[in-house]
Amino acid sequence: MTLLPRDRQVRAGALLTVLVVLVAVLGPVAAPYAADELVGPAYGAPAPGAPLGYDYLGADVLSRVLLGGRSLVLTTVCAAVLALLAGATIGMLAAWTGRLADRAVLWCADVLLAFPHLVLVLLAVSMLGRSRPLVVATVAVTLLPGTVRLARSLTLGVMRQEYVEAARLLGYPRRRILFREILPNVTTPLLVHLGAMLTWSAGLIAAMSFLGYGVAAPAADWGLMVNENHGGLRIQPWAVLVPVALIALFALGVNTLAEGLGRTVARVEEER
Amino acid sequence: MNSQITRRGFLGGAVLLGGAALVGCAPDAQRQQAASPGTLQDGTPRRGGRLRLGVVDGDRAGTLDAHKPLTIGSIIRGFAVYSKLWEWNAEMNWSPALAEETEANADATTWTVRLRQGLEFHNGKTITADDVIFSARRLTDPALGSPWAALLFTLDRERIDKVDERTVRFHFKDGKGFVPFPDTFTNFGAIVPVDYDPAKPVGAGPYKLKEFTPGQRSLFTRFENYFKDGQPYADELEIIDFQDEASRIAALQAGQISLANGIGADQVRLLQGDPRVSVVVSQTSNWQSFDLNLSKEPFRDERVREAFRLLTDRKELVERALSGHGRVANDLYSPQDPTFDRSIAQRPYDVERAKALLKAAGQENLQVELVSGEGGDAAALVFAAQAKKAGVTVTVKKVDAATFNGPRRLDWTMSTGGLLTESFLSSALHLDAPVSAANKTHFSDPRFTELFEQAITQPDVARRAELVHEMQRIQHAKGGLVIWGFNDALDAVSTGVGGVVPEHTQFATWRFEKLWVKETT
Amino acid sequence: MSRPATGGRGRWLLRRVAYGATAVWATSVVVFAATQALPSDPAMAILGGDATPESLARLRLDLGLDRPLWQRYLDWLGGVLTGDLGRSLDSGTDVATLLGGRIANSLALLLLALSVAVALALALGLFAALRRGGLADRVVTSTAVSLQAVPGFVVAVALIVLLATTVWPVLPAASLLEPGLSPFAQLHYLVLPALTLVVAETPYLLRQVRSSVVEALESDYATAARLRGVPERRVIWRHALPNGLVPAVQATALTTGVLLGGSLVVEVAFSYPGLGGALNAAVGARDIPVIQAAALLIAGGVVVVNLLADLVTVLLTPRLRTGES
Repeated sequence: MTLLPRDRQVRAGALLTVLVVLVAVLGPVAAPYAADELVGPAYGAPAPGAPLGYDYLGADVLSRVLLGGRSLVLTTVCAAVLALLAGATIGMLAAWTGRLADRAVLWCADVLLAFPHLVLVLLAVSMLGRSRPLVVATVAVTLLPGTVRLARSLTLGVMRQEYVEAARLLGYPRRRILFREILPNVTTPLLVHLGAMLTWSAGLIAAMSFLGYGVAAPAADWGLMVNENHGGLRIQPWAVLVPVALIALFALGVNTLAEGLGRTVARVEEER
Repeated sequence: MNSQITRRGFLGGAVLLGGAALVGCAPDAQRQQAASPGTLQDGTPRRGGRLRLGVVDGDRAGTLDAHKPLTIGSIIRGFAVYSKLWEWNAEMNWSPALAEETEANADATTWTVRLRQGLEFHNGKTITADDVIFSARRLTDPALGSPWAALLFTLDRERIDKVDERTVRFHFKDGKGFVPFPDTFTNFGAIVPVDYDPAKPVGAGPYKLKEFTPGQRSLFTRFENYFKDGQPYADELEIIDFQDEASRIAALQAGQISLANGIGADQVRLLQGDPRVSVVVSQTSNWQSFDLNLSKEPFRDERVREAFRLLTDRKELVERALSGHGRVANDLYSPQDPTFDRSIAQRPYDVERAKALLKAAGQENLQVELVSGEGGDAAALVFAAQAKKAGVTVTVKKVDAATFNGPRRLDWTMSTGGLLTESFLSSALHLDAPVSAANKTHFSDPRFTELFEQAITQPDVARRAELVHEMQRIQHAKGGLVIWGFNDALDAVSTGVGGVVPEHTQFATWRFEKLWVKETT
Repeated sequence: MSRPATGGRGRWLLRRVAYGATAVWATSVVVFAATQALPSDPAMAILGGDATPESLARLRLDLGLDRPLWQRYLDWLGGVLTGDLGRSLDSGTDVATLLGGRIANSLALLLLALSVAVALALALGLFAALRRGGLADRVVTSTAVSLQAVPGFVVAVALIVLLATTVWPVLPAASLLEPGLSPFAQLHYLVLPALTLVVAETPYLLRQVRSSVVEALESDYATAARLRGVPERRVIWRHALPNGLVPAVQATALTTGVLLGGSLVVEVAFSYPGLGGALNAAVGARDIPVIQAAALLIAGGVVVVNLLADLVTVLLTPRLRTGES
């Protein structure tokens, strides 16, 4: 782990991620107004005291930007981590158990993959209403099949390794083999996959917000801001472009970080 | 998507059009025009060309059925294909169209209608009394299941008499009078031939259907024997469905369409600097409200209702939710109706009194859920911020149109609402009359009911006005509608189209017979 | 997917098709169940808030809502198998007619966008892989990552302002396709939506191509080939590129799947009459026959595309193996 800061890509990625997360976490302290305070004209242009202007109802865009990161970052991270935990567990167990269970899991993953993402979101939101847990769950379910397949194939690869075969032949307890031998060996690629998932997750949440299926107002949220103000993109662009840029930077940072980490770890292993 | 038009034109799925006074009224509002005046009425109408109107119809594709138009797009298409006995004039009063003369008897228990001479359908068949009877019976046929049949609930469909080839006499159930017959029959009472087939719709409107692709577009050609001489002007009319307001506005600016009806108020600023487009502003009496459910706590208490009315900053709502394109309202509908009581004072904005009332009612830390339908959320959010100032926590719950109008539609404790311009009686029929099917506020007052029963059989305006004034005082004091504003109808029109004139209706771009395409050089 | 045993390719294909069919069937069950569980009564959703109990009852009877669930499912499935998708609740039109034109439009857009995106991804991915670690690679890769995070509608609005309304108005802002005419006969309507999709989908494909080509270039056999004195150019064309193709095929399949139902944002932004928009509107209007048909079509499309991708992969693999030796 001492190698980490030396990799330039990791450093750049970490810096970006930390920067965006800082805005998200510390923003609420610095926000001059509350999320639902209407202080200026609707779609008002930037003015002294409101450097980013006002949104479609007249709330201060800067305040909503500062307040709206926490929920987006949290939603994105929760969805990706949930998909990782559930997907890895299911995929590993499927590979480990093999036979019927494995086939059943693969089949379910394929059904989920064939199931149009859009339908999933539309039906889920129509049935259960707009809420943050639902956004997290929907995005996690969308990311699940890919993760299951990846975890499964990684586990199968590791299981074919000689030392696992040996451990089996030596009659080590199954749990021990799973946790001591297999888990450490699939962790790194799965973590890299987490980086990619965070990017997708941010993109999906932004798209859901655009279609009006994200977090509900008056809560401040970068994704929601994009939806609320998209009609005025040509009148007051800041209310849309600033949250979009922050989402993009967050995705870029996390992704760069994950890929860099993956590379570094791979290098370390090689050097070993 | 989250379109503005849905809110302005098609309030929560309840398309309620028109309505008028029996005698001409003169609304004090001035006609006005927003951008580049002088480009609209210049020149004489010219024949030829194709009119292209872009509509945003929520998630619906709609139909062409004469008596079952369920979406704003379908209603607009109906304006092209069908003609009615009456039509709405620019002041939102009815005047004869296919009818030459219409008359109610002294207690409005019968209405007699005589058709003009020599009227024709698109297929060349002459329009007769039989067609009128068929049309009225079809609209109210339970087997057709038109939701608009409810508006004519009192029409006795077994007693529509053919007086002669051109004259029909209508009777009402139990021999009762029904003053708002033209109001309620005009909107959805398209006159169609006795052999009408909704799959191949034939009417007597200014344009004949050529092609209909649901959810995409419809194409019409001029009806040469339209009953208004010399009209319509354009060779063809195309109505194009858009899913997104921003896309429709861009198409208008790029010259792909020439008309966009009922645009979102926030889009006006975008168009103001554009020399290719002008925005026509029509001041209407289309209203926006928050509906309080009187059958539920906390709104059973009159003091809480009053407090909610007082803490509503109507001016701010008009400014923010309507981008300033509207007027403040006083919890009463139909100000264009000659029976409207103008002596009732405007309710002030008074947070302190609202707080005191809430305290007296023991509701100091009140929490209420405000359900907003498609497009109603801007007003709801502004109201939530206002309520906070009086110590009331309002949680806005946005639901889609299908849920808003679904099985729970009468259960919402508080919800967004509104209606297009209608006469007083016809609005009451929708909302708070004893027979209303959509009484979201559960308003029920014995004296109000009694007055309503009298007013509906009183064709004399002065005498009816007395009754209505008392009804309005009851509504103003005890009702459940917090009517905060009237919104303007905003139409965007390409400079290449003539004949769009501001009115006191939302019909400026739907009067297809009057619109014409200017020569393109 | 399991690789075919030598000689059993036909049986493998058959098994694969049957497998895909079960997935589509499962989707049909889920979609049907979900549409039945939607809140609000379809009759009310259609007739609106002013409908009387009588007209609602009438419509419910017409819709067969009084019959048991399993019976409705079987009827629907039987209809689908015999090519009858039912009638739209909203417009009353035959669902097959309603969706037919839209499927053609969606496919045309998909083909156009994908062919450009794949070509671009291959070229840029290869370019970046050959200069891996260098400035050019970094610029290409980080541009790709950032673009991936820009919502499609922002790209759409930017393109509209640039090329349709304000800066350089040469293309139509809205894709008002003439119904009944082939979308390829009105290509000018396809340019902006396709361009938006290209911007949205190329980054993912590009990164897949880049990473697999890099992997191939750094693989043992590539090193071995170099040691044998094979020229670098030949190493790239014979070894690296074909190996980069396999993941690219799979990635293309995944993208196609996403685009089949997910180009909704683009369809909305350009008023493009495609399948995604029809589906979105149908959910909003609770137009159940249309939801079911569109969802099933998309699911079927995804399965077919994955099948094709697997087939292509299988066809590519033996050739690659001979290249390896």
